Amino acid sequence: MGAGGGFMLAESIKHPVEHLIPYAVPPEEFSSGIATWYNSICGMCPAGCGISVRTREGRAKKIEGNPSHPVNQGRLCALGQAGLQVLYNPDRLTAPMLQSGERGSGEFVQTTWNEGLSEVASRLSASTNNDGIYFVSEGVRGHLANLFELFMNELGSANLLHYDFAHPHSLYAANNHIFGERQLPYYDIRNSRYLLSFGADYLNDWLSPVHHGLGFGHSRQGNGDARGRFVQIEPRMSISGASADEWIPATPGSEGILALGIAQQILAGGNYQGTDADDWNAALATYSAAYVEDKTGVPADTVARIASEFSHAEPGLAIGGGAAGNHTNGVDTLVAVNALNYLVGNIGKPGGVVFNPDPVVGSSTAGRQANFAAMQDLAENARQGAIEVLIINNTNPLFTLPPGAGLKEALASIPLVVSLSSFMDETTAMADIILPSHTYLESWGDDMPQPGVGFSVGAVSQPVVSPLYNTRATGDIILGLAGKMGLGEAMGWDSMEDYIKDSWRNVYERGSPDAGGFDSFWREVLTSGAWGENTRNSNSVVIDKQVIDNIAVAEAEFSGNPDEYPFVLHPYLSTTLYDGRGANLPWMQELPDPMTSIVYGSWVELNPQTANEMGIQDGDLLRITSEHGSIEVPAVTFPAIMPDVVAMPIGQGHEEFGRYARNRGSNPIQILAPNMDAVSGSLATSATRVSLAQTGRRAAPVKTGGESRQLGRNIVQSTGADGDSAGHSAKLNSIPIVVDPA
Amino acid sequence: MGNEERQMQFADVNDDVVRSLTETGRSYYIALATAIFVMLACFFFPWFYQLYYGIGAAGMNHPTVWGTYLASFVFWIGLSHSGTLLSCVLHITNSEWRKAMYRSAEAMTLFSLMVAATMVMVHVGRPWFIHWALPYPNQMELWPNFRSPLMFDVMAITTYVTGSLIFIYMGSIPDFAAVRDRTTGWRHHLYVLLSLGWRGTDTEWHRLGWAYTFLAVLIIPLAVSVHSIVSWDFAMSLVPGLHQTIFAPYFVVGAIYSGTAGIVTVMYVLRKYMNFEHFITKLHFDNLGKLLLVLSLIWTYINILELFTGWFSGTSTEYEQLKYKLFGFYAPLYWEMILFCAVAPLLLISKKFRTSFVPMLILSIAINIGMYTERFLIIGATLSRQYLPNAWRVYVPSLVEISILVGSLATFITLFLLFVKIFPSVSIYEVKETMETPKSKKGDTEWQAAH
Amino acid sequence: MNIMERFISSWQKYRKPGYYEDFDYAWTMSIDLDRCTGCSACVTACQAENNIPIVGEKELAKGREMHWIRIERYWEGEYPNAKLKFIPMLCQQCDAAPCETVCPVSATYHNQDGLNTQVYNRCIGTRSCAVYCPYEVRYFNYNSHHWDSPLEQQLNPDVSVREKGVMEKCTFCIQRVRQAKDHAKDDGRRRVQEGDIQPACVQTCPSEALVFGDRKDSNSKVAKSLADPRAYHVLDELNTLPSVVYLKKVDSDG
Repeated sequence: MGAGGGFMLAESIKHPVEHLIPYAVPPEEFSSGIATWYNSICGMCPAGCGISVRTREGRAKKIEGNPSHPVNQGRLCALGQAGLQVLYNPDRLTAPMLQSGERGSGEFVQTTWNEGLSEVASRLSASTNNDGIYFVSEGVRGHLANLFELFMNELGSANLLHYDFAHPHSLYAANNHIFGERQLPYYDIRNSRYLLSFGADYLNDWLSPVHHGLGFGHSRQGNGDARGRFVQIEPRMSISGASADEWIPATPGSEGILALGIAQQILAGGNYQGTDADDWNAALATYSAAYVEDKTGVPADTVARIASEFSHAEPGLAIGGGAAGNHTNGVDTLVAVNALNYLVGNIGKPGGVVFNPDPVVGSSTAGRQANFAAMQDLAENARQGAIEVLIINNTNPLFTLPPGAGLKEALASIPLVVSLSSFMDETTAMADIILPSHTYLESWGDDMPQPGVGFSVGAVSQPVVSPLYNTRATGDIILGLAGKMGLGEAMGWDSMEDYIKDSWRNVYERGSPDAGGFDSFWREVLTSGAWGENTRNSNSVVIDKQVIDNIAVAEAEFSGNPDEYPFVLHPYLSTTLYDGRGANLPWMQELPDPMTSIVYGSWVELNPQTANEMGIQDGDLLRITSEHGSIEVPAVTFPAIMPDVVAMPIGQGHEEFGRYARNRGSNPIQILAPNMDAVSGSLATSATRVSLAQTGRRAAPVKTGGESRQLGRNIVQSTGADGDSAGHSAKLNSIPIVVDPA
Repeated sequence: MGNEERQMQFADVNDDVVRSLTETGRSYYIALATAIFVMLACFFFPWFYQLYYGIGAAGMNHPTVWGTYLASFVFWIGLSHSGTLLSCVLHITNSEWRKAMYRSAEAMTLFSLMVAATMVMVHVGRPWFIHWALPYPNQMELWPNFRSPLMFDVMAITTYVTGSLIFIYMGSIPDFAAVRDRTTGWRHHLYVLLSLGWRGTDTEWHRLGWAYTFLAVLIIPLAVSVHSIVSWDFAMSLVPGLHQTIFAPYFVVGAIYSGTAGIVTVMYVLRKYMNFEHFITKLHFDNLGKLLLVLSLIWTYINILELFTGWFSGTSTEYEQLKYKLFGFYAPLYWEMILFCAVAPLLLISKKFRTSFVPMLILSIAINIGMYTERFLIIGATLSRQYLPNAWRVYVPSLVEISILVGSLATFITLFLLFVKIFPSVSIYEVKETMETPKSKKGDTEWQAAH
Repeated sequence: MNIMERFISSWQKYRKPGYYEDFDYAWTMSIDLDRCTGCSACVTACQAENNIPIVGEKELAKGREMHWIRIERYWEGEYPNAKLKFIPMLCQQCDAAPCETVCPVSATYHNQDGLNTQVYNRCIGTRSCAVYCPYEVRYFNYNSHHWDSPLEQQLNPDVSVREKGVMEKCTFCIQRVRQAKDHAKDDGRRRVQEGDIQPACVQTCPSEALVFGDRKDSNSKVAKSLADPRAYHVLDELNTLPSVVYLKKVDSDG
């Protein structure tokens, strides 16, 4: 690492925050002028990259990627780097609070942990219907998820939900449907020679962007002469689209039809020799190139060419997500994408789709992931009076659910809302009792990252600094509640730290016992920051004939008729703000959006010709109206977007969430129709049609970039392709990273 | 040559000048008070605000880091050019018509330079350390960077200030002596000090003449070099539109141009408000007008050359600069500059125009406005469009900057107002050189005594 | 050689290519545009490492950016064949730096490692270096900066916090270079090896587009980048001899 005193004993000792006088005998890891590094797990997005945090005199100074962690291998994205501002955010909740006024009035009084926990515990104990207790958490994995399960089990409630806006429900459903694996596979981009991405912004926010970035870099220029080719299919060019060799705009919602069209071309070209070829031929008969061109707008010869390139690449890999997965036909689309992988035979092979073994640490939470349908049900149950207590943990459905779900109104029917979040966001502002949790940099935890890397990987998250405020780790809050409710039998750990350590004895026992015993194993896990085991998923993949016969992608449905609402709204996760969680981080607000260089605001992207025809100039404030609401957003022309599509980043438009986030920009989720994918029940975020109108006012967004054309100045220089990169047959010298099992 | 309806006597010259010093009307005090007030309110107050908040009070940004402060600096240095330079050139060529006005012109030079120095202090980010730009032995063992064009600036301008100061002072010694003999009180003591015991002997006159001419010859190349050096602040950068060899002549010509226009303005004011109608006549305006016309034509030529080379080069960067100046955000300013500095001065072809006082005044002010715009465009507009298009950004001056510009003008006026009341603003002895030597009357002892 | 000859020979070599090869190290960064995805992780990593202030929306609206490394983006073509290209732009640590000549107080100079250093204490804020820099990578502190407590607890103690009126720019994380050299010295007076030091931006780049090293070490990755047929310098025609080499993006049309 080269910039500090190396890894030291990484167990952190909690220090009481009241001491202002420097220690006469400082703790072991306080050496003035020398940095101490702690390994942990990044908590900024679900990817679960490993981090090493540099601390000086007990303060966290810099987050780096952990070189030993197979997911990110020492690298980290911008949002991960900004984790320091989550820890040191000026708007953190600092102590337990009780609502003192009307719900939503913002009047809270501080209280003690004892009082807060007792109050919640007594209300939980007093509930008449066990199933009236709902726990909605952000998606967590590892043993914290297990703890939630235990707790809810003890309470006798089945209503534990993990709610994340960007959770790829449709991908899970598609993988389950066609491959029988309800999980996120490992997409081996690193060893792929041809990546065909249907809407998946894999370099920005899809699944595990840092790992994909590593893979992208290697596939491009890390492989000697063989250069990987990347093709991106989406209605609006994302970062991944900008890095692609080819960006293909297809009619929104038709990506699945395109995928099946490509599949049909693969079969028609005689490039699939499997035994079920006849079944496939029959099933894909409708998806001729002409049909596909009609439905998607992609020329027939392009379809044929891509099919040929993709099937001849060794190997080719197809991924899907983003806009393509967020239509009413999302699952079918992703099934079609999966079919492509199957047809080129890359399942379980390097450069292809590799399924992961079952998690060793924690259990799969796939069943708990709450899609939009589940949240609608929750709101309905609340309205029926079926919910007595709602516990929220670090998730913000009032911001990330369209108003069509009716959650805000439904809350009025819930007698007690408890929040365990670290920040006063929109949902927490409606809580009656707030028991604020530590940020991830102050907490013990563990994780098996998803999607993994093809074999078992685990890591432990540990505190890198003493807690700043009178908050507690989420796990400790649950254990505290359990304690107060007398659930000590089944949940008898003193603290989250104990629980994690205890649970890892099981992991320890999987391997061959170490001479040094569990303690030395534990130390090793913490000092390296990652643990791995060479177990792989060896299930063979066979596709049911039924599945093949019924494979089809219907046209996507949209809310609003095309006459009144001529544009399709394409909301996308912002590079800097993700799903809105980055909005209270000044570094992220100030980071220019890579595609438009805009900071501190929202904007809507239009095709330049469309803008021209409508007389719209950059900076005009437009009113975007859907059947479900309208917002005002400044316009920006964007050369790489379809003429009848408008795109808008998600993340701004907060009403709460601190000084950097409040009252800034607009939230496109507010005007989304509550359309769902028929199969997975996930929100079809790209299924809303909108109309645009000038408000007559101007609100030019703040940009850091000036002129965006080079004007012949050769600043960014390009060279012709070195040889034929498409379909180039390359030697497969790729081996996934192997971590020595403990 | 200064002969009006009534024959002017030598004594009248002394009378007029001494009167201009000692008799002060109310309008003078009002003017002085206003100037001081505007100076404090528009210069010092915003400057202190800027010192407190940082240069952010101005409108500059990234990458247009230079703005009106530097444009004002160049403008004031430019204004300074005419006074002393013109005075020296005209002295060496033995021109008669300079004699009445050169003192004020030289004073103009000095005060312009002082105001320019204050603009540097306003411009710099940490002015409390500005002494580091001076080469003095120090504990840090650090010398300033002599390779820097800004250091050349420091040295050239200090030399120019020193030279001008000596020049104007030296030329004024006989005048100090003359008014010393006619005043009382604090003035008398002041002039005693300043006149260094001048008695008007032959030797003294001889030495003075020789030293004066010597300095005049030295100052000419010095003045040319000063503004060339100022131009190299810009020309030695790599910024497209600034990195041109024509900058040195361009700036020198521009400086003399704007300075001459400044002299016209000052002459008008002096003539009208100090009752110097005898000294400053149509002849002076006529000659200044001719000079202005020539300079305007040269200036126009250089501008055309700039446009031509920008277009001819065919490089994206230079061409973009020219397109931007003509048609971009600052285009109105560019065309205003052309109108005031290239088109309007063509009126000077007409002698009638040249000898009309008020039109000349208006034209001279217009020329200076145009020349200020030229400096502003050179700094603000070119920095907006450099090599990397992504870094292009527009610069708009803030209220603080405009206020300080107005304040700097007020500072100049204050200094000049103080000058006209403390130092003889018309050179007594030189004016006398333009007048017919009175025939010596036998036994006219009074005349003998006056000299 | 007598003084005159030495002076003349020194002057003739001065700021010509190769002049700084006699110095201790020649730190170089290579940026592979075919790998850069525009994700901007480098921008945030630099902010965290170097105490770069948050200027806020109002100041940004006035155009006062403060990012030592910025991602420039250039569009080419029109829909549907529009392409967007990213290029990270940071101080090129030019061997023939135009900014070094113009600073009147020598607040910026070339050090023994071939880095163009900025001495905050000496800077009086004339901003001429920013004008002279053709890459426009120098950033001026127009105001004093403020961190809402407790964000200032994150500040890196190895890097000063600049006051208003002072110019700043990328230093190739000179604090890390210094530390690496210190460690190398403690470690038996050896040279700093490849991989001992990475600036924050290089360390975090997910696609490994940024590579850092000493080009005097012929085995280093940057030395190999310099020999790559795709290598080029931005604004090469200005002959600033930058220490940042870019590798051309591969445009595989069709």
